Amino acid sequence: MSDGLTLDHVVIAVRDLDAATADYTALLGRQPSWRGEHPRYGTRNTLFKIENTYIELLALGGSGGGDGRWAGELSRHLETHGEGVYALALGTQHVDATVKEARHRGLDVLDPADGDGVDAVSGVRRHWRNAMVSPKSTNGTRVFFIQHKTLPGALPPSEPVALDGSCVTRMDHAVVLSPDMESSRRLWGQALGARLALDRTFPDRNTRILFFRLGDITIEISGGASQAKEGVGKPDRFWGMAWGVDNLAATCARLAAAGIEVSGPRPGIKPGTLVATAKGAATHGVATLLIEHTPDSFKPEARAAHGEAYDNAPQQRAFTVTGLDHVVVSTSDIEQTLAKWSSTLELYASETIEPAGAHLRLSKLPAGNAYVELLQPLTPDHRVAQRIAERGQGMFSISLAVDDIEAAVRDLRAKGVEVSDAEPGVWPGTRVARVNKAAANGVSVQLLQKSG
Amino acid sequence: MRFYCDTLGLHVHKIETIQEQGVKAALLTVGDSEIELLQPVVPDTGVARYLERKGEGLHHICFQVDSVDGDLDALKAKGVELIDQQPRIGLAGRICFLHPNAMDGALVELCEPIDDAAVAG
Repeated sequence: MSDGLTLDHVVIAVRDLDAATADYTALLGRQPSWRGEHPRYGTRNTLFKIENTYIELLALGGSGGGDGRWAGELSRHLETHGEGVYALALGTQHVDATVKEARHRGLDVLDPADGDGVDAVSGVRRHWRNAMVSPKSTNGTRVFFIQHKTLPGALPPSEPVALDGSCVTRMDHAVVLSPDMESSRRLWGQALGARLALDRTFPDRNTRILFFRLGDITIEISGGASQAKEGVGKPDRFWGMAWGVDNLAATCARLAAAGIEVSGPRPGIKPGTLVATAKGAATHGVATLLIEHTPDSFKPEARAAHGEAYDNAPQQRAFTVTGLDHVVVSTSDIEQTLAKWSSTLELYASETIEPAGAHLRLSKLPAGNAYVELLQPLTPDHRVAQRIAERGQGMFSISLAVDDIEAAVRDLRAKGVEVSDAEPGVWPGTRVARVNKAAANGVSVQLLQKSG
Repeated sequence: MRFYCDTLGLHVHKIETIQEQGVKAALLTVGDSEIELLQPVVPDTGVARYLERKGEGLHHICFQVDSVDGDLDALKAKGVELIDQQPRIGLAGRICFLHPNAMDGALVELCEPIDDAAVAG
């Protein structure tokens, strides 16, 4: 059943939807993707679609009364538990088959039913089919399966409010507190079929944690180091969420400026991570951790220090840009231009080559950790010559070093960026791929990997 | 930024609007070097005119130096054509631009990092 089961979205129960929407816009640093209602449920919602899931703020109200079941459950939850994480929605491609298998594994699941939601502004309607698992068989937490019937594009990505890396980009993990760890382990591992990535006990902190994977999101189950008798059969509780950001210092500054109480950044438990905690009313009852995975957190030593839990670390990229390799400057007379660079900037050619068949003359001028390449086309119909005719001599392209050029090409293509196949570069011992400059704001960007 | 940050995974370490130059600038870390993204915020500045004339693209190359003052004096003594006769403050430190004529069309900036801009290249 784990095949294709993802964390489709997380539902947060709130009392005042408008206030919660404003708070989460500030907290996430993102505009809502959707503001609407569920005509069949008697509830209203706001959605924020981020890179790997979406966040739903759910409140009572809306024009449709529905059959009252969903609204009644939400109302009871708010009375008993207050605001906070309400449910986890597990995505599936075939909800009927998933329900059948879940029942076979002993879960008490309600029959699947069709549902829909309509966006108040655009009028767009999204359809799905979902099935609630009885909280009795999920240790008291609310989990449901959902199969979307509308294409993902119907829910637009949430627009960031800033471009400084301070906005939440993805969900890192969700935390469930469990008084009965063995029961939780059976639920998430055997009944729901999530992959167990880590089961570790920290005696000094009297804590045991289980990491289960749903797609690239971790469900962290946290409990006592040893099973207390009085905990057996006690319900689990959704505790909080950890959101991934690119620049945690910027996030903390942005939150502080927005009047949201935040502590950090401080080093996280996993080497190479930074974390901060957001507190106060703006979180609406969700324990909120913000986490930045610095490049160090992907190093083997960091993974070794934390066991295999991060074998497919959520923030790991397919490739890493490791540096600026060189900048290419075009010229129609390399001798003359070389003389200017040497006399003016005291940069000298270490090598000048004319690669066979390339119709180019190239000089390498080392400058600190990178180099300048002077490039002269030797035929008038060469693309470099054409560019000189159109835009004049001068700044031509940049070459960025990557750690895995094949992975980079695949990843860029998966992201819709046009890029050439990786092939041997003009300098010996290099493989290069050219990015379509329309994708890079008009800059000719070359990716380069040294094969040496 | 969509391409440089989201697609390539580069981190922004500084973003600022420099009023006297009429530009918004972001510095992205690339190993030991940096990529600077420039966006004009008022019309009729150097960057705005460049965009109008040539469109988006590669604008200039910046070298880190120990002393902009010393280098400017040396360049003046050689009779090199300059845009800035005196150093000024840029996003990454104390800077000056050479005239593109001096370098066969390439616009070159020299930068002497100050305090937190120590990594500027």
